[in-house]
Amino acid sequence: MRAPDETRSKEVRSFRARLFTAIMVIVATLTALGFYLAQRKITADAERNLQETFKTELSSMHELEELRHATLADRCNVLAEKPRIHAAIEDDAIDLLYPSAKDELRGLMEGDEPPPEQAARSLHARFYRFLDSTGAVIKPPNASDVGELDAKTEAQLSLNRLPDTKQIGYVQSGGDIHEVIAVPIFSTDTGDLVSALVIGFKPFQLEDKPTGMQSGIWVGGNLHLPALPTSALSSLNEKITRAATDSESDQNYFRVDVGGAPQLLFYKLLNPGSLFPPAYEICVHPIAPWTAQLNRLRWQIGGAGALLLLGGFVASHFVALRMSAPLKKLALDSEENRAERERAEAALATTAEELERSTRYSADASHQLKSPVTVLRVGLETLLEREDFKPEVYEHLSGLLHQTHRLTGVIDDLLLLSRVDAGHLQIASAPVNLSQLVDEWLDDLGALPDSPDVKIEKEFPSGLFVAGEKRYTSLIVQNLLENARKYNRPGGRIRVGAQGKGNHVVLTIGNTGRTIPRGENIFERFHHRSTPSVVSGHGIGLNLARELARLHGGELRLVRSENDWTEFEVRFSVANGVNPAA
Amino acid sequence: MRRLRLLSLSAILSIIPASLLASAALEGRVELPKSRSAPVQAKRYEIVTKAGVLSTQPPLAVVYLDGNFPRPASFPIKELAQKDLTFARALLPIEVGTRVEFPNLDDTYHNIFSYSPTKRFDLGRYRPEERPIPSVVFDKPGLVTLRCDIHEHMRGLILVLSTPYFVMTDTAGRFRLDKLPSGRYMLKAWIDSRTTREKPVELKDGQTLHVDLP
Repeated sequence: MRAPDETRSKEVRSFRARLFTAIMVIVATLTALGFYLAQRKITADAERNLQETFKTELSSMHELEELRHATLADRCNVLAEKPRIHAAIEDDAIDLLYPSAKDELRGLMEGDEPPPEQAARSLHARFYRFLDSTGAVIKPPNASDVGELDAKTEAQLSLNRLPDTKQIGYVQSGGDIHEVIAVPIFSTDTGDLVSALVIGFKPFQLEDKPTGMQSGIWVGGNLHLPALPTSALSSLNEKITRAATDSESDQNYFRVDVGGAPQLLFYKLLNPGSLFPPAYEICVHPIAPWTAQLNRLRWQIGGAGALLLLGGFVASHFVALRMSAPLKKLALDSEENRAERERAEAALATTAEELERSTRYSADASHQLKSPVTVLRVGLETLLEREDFKPEVYEHLSGLLHQTHRLTGVIDDLLLLSRVDAGHLQIASAPVNLSQLVDEWLDDLGALPDSPDVKIEKEFPSGLFVAGEKRYTSLIVQNLLENARKYNRPGGRIRVGAQGKGNHVVLTIGNTGRTIPRGENIFERFHHRSTPSVVSGHGIGLNLARELARLHGGELRLVRSENDWTEFEVRFSVANGVNPAA
Repeated sequence: MRRLRLLSLSAILSIIPASLLASAALEGRVELPKSRSAPVQAKRYEIVTKAGVLSTQPPLAVVYLDGNFPRPASFPIKELAQKDLTFARALLPIEVGTRVEFPNLDDTYHNIFSYSPTKRFDLGRYRPEERPIPSVVFDKPGLVTLRCDIHEHMRGLILVLSTPYFVMTDTAGRFRLDKLPSGRYMLKAWIDSRTTREKPVELKDGQTLHVDLP
């Protein structure tokens, strides 16, 4: 028992190792997945946070800007409503336009530019111009009154038509940018669009934030971001130009490298739908601190992942141990089961072998017996052919010869029985004419030399077919009829009847004579009647008949045996489609 | 008998004033544009512009006789008051050289000015008690748009004509001009800042000519 024990514990160890590996693989995969997802989420969150920061800063700035635009527009609208300006435009007095406006706009134009931190609240204008009905700039008679502009800058103020709503625009003037607001002037008399007032301001600039965000404006293919070195501007400008022309959205962001430092660049269209050329707010934010923070976070997550992995390693080791313990027990249990099963199987094999052997023995014995009997019979027949014996010798010889015939019959029966027992007998089922078969046997019965004086009664229709193999069916009938004759009394009778009953054909054979005592099992193999008799069989005929009847799906039974009458009944399966209804 | 007839004629002539003797008259009707709204009871007219054309609402026309007439030595002073933040008359026809006073009858400042090429002026801000009453002499024929620098809705029109013979139609377009000199002239009807209709007329003393300006 040493060797199986070792094998078993080896198997358990191998199972434990496999279990441990599987758990580790799962833990490692989950950790890696978790790490990947966490990192992705953190990156996305960080990026979103950065965006949010940007948007908040931008939106606060844009709110101020909007406020300023609204204030400016209000102011411009009031100006545009002034009767003198209207009179100059509508009453054909263009020469009086700028002089009239000078008085009205004095408040806006006078004084110095406010410092940047007050720019939001300040409404200081740098210049103003009127547009004629075609949208072109009306030349001022004296440029110093209305804010001097070079011709190139002034040309940018012209629009291809008069605007019917407030328009925001940005124009370049040398290295500077002006923010302009154009408001329409409608005739107070006709409501027609007659002119527009364009006022230029210093662009609203974002204050320098501690985050390091720097803002500028991109317009007409040029980037104005004074905080950045000119060397960085050109490459940046190219990228923005591409993004601004390609992108369908008004705002977006991308990463750029400014002087080797990674930056996040946001851009937003400042004047959507304006008649002025599109201008973009540009914000550049250095992302180095952000990346450093992100890297730190990654390391932290990585460390946590490693710890988790280690924990998983230990945990899976214990789990594998715990899980393999019942398996070990199971292995032991199954070993016991196996031994028990082997024992049972061995016993079964022995039984089967014995059974087989006995069956084979029976068959062999029959064959072995038949040969000497044949030799004996042939010898006796040869002796009978001689003519030099006394007559009483012939009588003895005839008796002996008869015994050899009986012996052959017994051996045949035994052979058949052994085949039935071994399960080797195959029934080739076919319709068998039972009526004809019984008739033939009755004829033979009458022809037998030692036939007692018995009367035979027949009571069956002709052409009664049963399902079975003819020779075995015949054997059943023969056995029963022979018995009926053999155990009859002189002057007795035999009655044979047959009839169809549903799916069966029932054959009854009755005879007069001594009855069978109650409780005696006449169907037992090698049975011998308890009461002495002048005639006796070898004790296997009824047994064989019954076995055969059962093989045919039928039955043989003793119906009654009393008052000088013994009756057997055989039940056969009816041959399908052959018998007429009984 | 012949002498008696002459006498009687001279008697008749002596009865009729000389001015009347030397005068003709014109009457007729100007086809006015359809009023956009039914004439309300208000007597006051307002200036309206449609596609940049100034006219009165309800429509009115100024009918005048165009020609070279001797200029009088002096002109009567006309008045165009501002009352209830509007001009007392929407349209005032005057002869060239006439002085128009712009009294302020409101309890607030007014600042009447004009950028019209015919006459540019700016009376500045003034109160009702301003004396002398601010006035302007219109020395060139043409149309003058009056505005108030303080009340942007206020509009007034002065039609400066180089003739002493002019009259405003009623809202039906009917007019009558009296005491006209005989001769061949052009009768004109100013309907709005873009439309002036005209028709040649030959006036004879003592005759009343009927002319319609469709």
